[in-house]
Amino acid sequence: MTDLLRLLRLFRPYALWLLAGIGLSVVVILANVGLVALAGWFIAAMALSGLSGQLIEYFTPAAGIRALAILRTGGRYAERLVTHEATLRLLAALRVWFYQHLEPLAPARLQYYRGGDLLSRIRADIDSLDNLYLRVLAPTIAAAVTIILLVAFMAAFSVKIALIDLGFLGLAGVALPLVTQRLARWSGRRAVAIRADLRAGVTDTARGLGELLVYQAAARQTETITALSDRLIAGQRRQAWIAGPAAGLAGLAANLAMGLALIIAIPLVRRGDLTGPDLPMIALFVLGSFEAVAPLPAAFQALGETLAAARRIFAIIDTEPTIAEPAHPADPPTRFDLRITNLSMRYTPDSPWALRHIDLAIPEGGRIGIIGETGSGKTSLLNVILRFWAFQEGSITLGGVSLRDLRGETTRGVCAVLAQQTYLFNTTIRANLHLARPGATEAELHDALRQAQILDEVRSFPAGLDTIVGETGMRLSGGQARRIAIARAFLKDAPILILDEPTEGLDAVSERDVLAALERLMQGRTTIMITHRPQSLRLVERVFVMERGRLKQSKG
Amino acid sequence: MANAPRSRAEAKSLEAWLRGFTRTVRLPLTATIITGAIGGVLLVLQAWLLARIIDGVIIEHQALQQVWPLLIDLLATFIARAIITALTDIIGFEAAARVKRAIRRQAYAHLTALGPAWSRHERSGDLATTLIDGIEALDQYYARYLPQMALAVFIPLAILVFVFPAYWIAGIIMVITAPLIPLFMIIVGKGAERLNQRQWRKLARMSAYFFDAIEGLTTLKLFGASRAEAQMIADVSDDYRITTMAVLRVAFLSSLVLEFFATISIAMVAVYIGFALYYRELHFLPGFFVLLLAPEFYRPLRNMGSSYHARMEAIGAAEQIVRLLATEAPTPDAPKTEAAPEPALTLRFEQVDFAYQPGEPILTGIDFTLAPGERLALVGPSGAGKTTISQLLLGFLEPSRGIIRIGGTDLRDLPPAAWLARIAWLPQRPTLFHGSVIDNIRLGLTADAAAVRAAAAQAGADHFITNLPQGYDTIVGERGQGLSGGEIQRIALARAFLKNAELIVLDEPDASLDPATAALIGASIERLARDRTMLIIAHRLESVRHADRILVIDHGRIVEFGDHASLIARRGLYATMSALRQDVPA
Repeated sequence: MTDLLRLLRLFRPYALWLLAGIGLSVVVILANVGLVALAGWFIAAMALSGLSGQLIEYFTPAAGIRALAILRTGGRYAERLVTHEATLRLLAALRVWFYQHLEPLAPARLQYYRGGDLLSRIRADIDSLDNLYLRVLAPTIAAAVTIILLVAFMAAFSVKIALIDLGFLGLAGVALPLVTQRLARWSGRRAVAIRADLRAGVTDTARGLGELLVYQAAARQTETITALSDRLIAGQRRQAWIAGPAAGLAGLAANLAMGLALIIAIPLVRRGDLTGPDLPMIALFVLGSFEAVAPLPAAFQALGETLAAARRIFAIIDTEPTIAEPAHPADPPTRFDLRITNLSMRYTPDSPWALRHIDLAIPEGGRIGIIGETGSGKTSLLNVILRFWAFQEGSITLGGVSLRDLRGETTRGVCAVLAQQTYLFNTTIRANLHLARPGATEAELHDALRQAQILDEVRSFPAGLDTIVGETGMRLSGGQARRIAIARAFLKDAPILILDEPTEGLDAVSERDVLAALERLMQGRTTIMITHRPQSLRLVERVFVMERGRLKQSKG
Repeated sequence: MANAPRSRAEAKSLEAWLRGFTRTVRLPLTATIITGAIGGVLLVLQAWLLARIIDGVIIEHQALQQVWPLLIDLLATFIARAIITALTDIIGFEAAARVKRAIRRQAYAHLTALGPAWSRHERSGDLATTLIDGIEALDQYYARYLPQMALAVFIPLAILVFVFPAYWIAGIIMVITAPLIPLFMIIVGKGAERLNQRQWRKLARMSAYFFDAIEGLTTLKLFGASRAEAQMIADVSDDYRITTMAVLRVAFLSSLVLEFFATISIAMVAVYIGFALYYRELHFLPGFFVLLLAPEFYRPLRNMGSSYHARMEAIGAAEQIVRLLATEAPTPDAPKTEAAPEPALTLRFEQVDFAYQPGEPILTGIDFTLAPGERLALVGPSGAGKTTISQLLLGFLEPSRGIIRIGGTDLRDLPPAAWLARIAWLPQRPTLFHGSVIDNIRLGLTADAAAVRAAAAQAGADHFITNLPQGYDTIVGERGQGLSGGEIQRIALARAFLKNAELIVLDEPDASLDPATAALIGASIERLARDRTMLIIAHRLESVRHADRILVIDHGRIVEFGDHASLIARRGLYATMSALRQDVPA
């Protein structure tokens, strides 16, 4: 519930749009119920007046029928436009909000959310939050308001009928969906789990078909997939056996409410407490009122999904950033010698030290290399220098200024980073380069690409600098992507260079090209390079070995 | 994107494909239509009973006791309708479930028939989406859309049969307005659909932009651009909202028109009946009966609008499935020979060419022999064609020209399973299947736990496996315990040890491993190679130094061959690469 309130607070700036959409929904439902009820009343009144020969003022109801018909149609159109406008505004607001809260957490707190699977979960969760208003809020609030108005109107004729209507509306709109959901919860969860297994199975087959064939497991895998598919259908069947009767019962509730209304109203008509035309009006009114609760089962179901999504999103958002920014940040350093003294760091208070008693001094323009096994702490050291992770003991100073006194952004502003998994955005080469220097001129871009030794290749692409890279665009080779990232580092022109396995995964020829580009980039910059490539180490002056969080100068 | 624009002809042919499956579910599909029709008849009956009750009370001035029997009948109708509704849903599900099951089987069988050479180039996530979400998206087409299409014809016609005798003018209004609804729906819908599809792409792009920013957040941060990005996201979303609303204003017109005709027609019927009653041209009972039927007459037509969406979704999903099924699987000629296993095999590539597309050769004139017990290495720059050679050898690809001979037999004449039974293969990126470690090592082989453990020990994997939370029973794979690249390699190596095959094919077994792990795996490979024939594709040259022969591949050709010493002496590509790398401690 608190999650819901938190979401609603986010929605506040759009309250007017949201309320307008709900108001229009109410108008549409009321017009619809009014139309059938008035039509029933009208023809009964006309018939009785025809039979009795009494004159009747028929212009108003006849015009009313037409007006309600138009109101209903036009209202529905306006309602759909307004609710969609509201949804799209919320969507924009939600994304910006999510992004703004995520930004301070990257990358330290997000490392557990790496990998496509989790990212796609965030994606699905954000999408289901997008639907909160349209699928959940608007129909429920509109239903509540309409029901109050409809029942109040009915009470003017008969309180008893009004209460019966209310009771059955509650049955069909609230009790039945809740019971159904309860019953279907177990099989629903199972269906989700089976579906995930099935997905894993098919993905495995697509990836590992060769191994399945070589190791004679293809037939078994087919059996597994078939069995999972059958179990999925069995689970869905159980749900169909719940949903089908529920739909039947919802219709039955509406009909029973009308039947009971008739049984109560008939004696009242006989007694003269109600007029003849009131009877068909009441019957059709009660039946029509169930239109208000029709979207509720879907809304309840979506509510569960949305709240679960909200809980997961909030859990990410509510993480504390690892690093508190200084209250009174110091001025940016003017020298760029890096000094690390007795540095110790661990990821959580109860985990082992990732870095222990590290001492390291690099003069401005100095170049060092760090080697060591996977997991020895090399990347942790870079994360600490870049202020992505906090350290517990010791100090790091840059040009004599403690990193603790600098804003993270300032520190990162003087560092250019090239890592194995350097990210190229799904956009043009130009935009990827502009990231490093937003106002860069064409000549500057060309110069950076030339320095990175990729200008000729970029020029040979049909779209040149406007070539889209990444998933939807042209696939660059590993070496090309790496050199575009180097061009980006040239553009950034930062005094400190941080290189994390810059040639990993490249073949010998690409590696040579990348190293040549790196050699130029390193001129006059303070450099820390992590690598286990001997050729890369030729570019540095001193080599250190990292071993279980401790740093030692290499003897070699 | 499932809803990419497609031509009408394409949509037609996709729908024809979807309809093809109705043959297999004729029984449940007919049953849903029948129950739906019974529901329609019960609806008319209910309207008739209600009209008689109200007529009895307000025109005939009957008391509650007099209409009581009618009320009982009404109650019975209510219950019958509820049962019919439930049945229609359940049977509709059965129809859809059978089709989904059949299509999934067919699609999966086709996926396996296409073979590893094909699926290697596809995104496994996309294939899974097609086979799971894509097929689920067909559900409503069979469960709802098809039955509703039949009922959209039957129910209005059935209602007309009752309306005409009761009040023919209302019947005329209905007959005239009814065809207008689908007509306008088609006219307005077509334009809107085009716009809609363009919008879908835009949504996909906007969404991609947002998630691209999230994925690259660290990089943005490194460039100090992360906070400005929030404004970009706001702008992109806002731009999307404005264009979407422009589209929706048109798109919603189709339902506006639909509603308009249905609602105005009902209002007209009501007003006409009212005046006919006033002038005593009509009795109340038939008049009220027709009024009750009027909304029911238009309801199935209006529902068509919403089920139209189910149709579009199914067609969008069908497109992906049909694309998969339409990809031609290599149809192997029936193997001409029974597997005639020779005690020791000699493998020969005879002038083998390979190309996916004519004119774009991947391999040209590959010619070599691999003798029993020999250790042969393939080296060369990435993209040279080394992996393609291994795929040809495994039979996942067929040569475009030339012959691969096993002993004296053409590989194409051997039953694939019999050939693969003699090979152990370690691919470039081994797959960890979702399941336990022990099942991952065993795969299709029958071996007891002790044998698996022995194989794992030989692969240098036993130690880290026993340290996993549940040892050999730890669930690994996409949603299980994460393993490092080196650990996955060792599990894959354990498979090879367990299989104990004559021929071992290794594809870059040490790519992107740190030196210590690479050394560990190198030692295991040494053990594995003993007394076996081996083809090894190498990334790091130190792992091929001890090979009996090295083939250097470049641009799809064998450019050099010989042992390490003679290749170094040649001062060709191998010597250059070796000098570039210098991984080998002197």
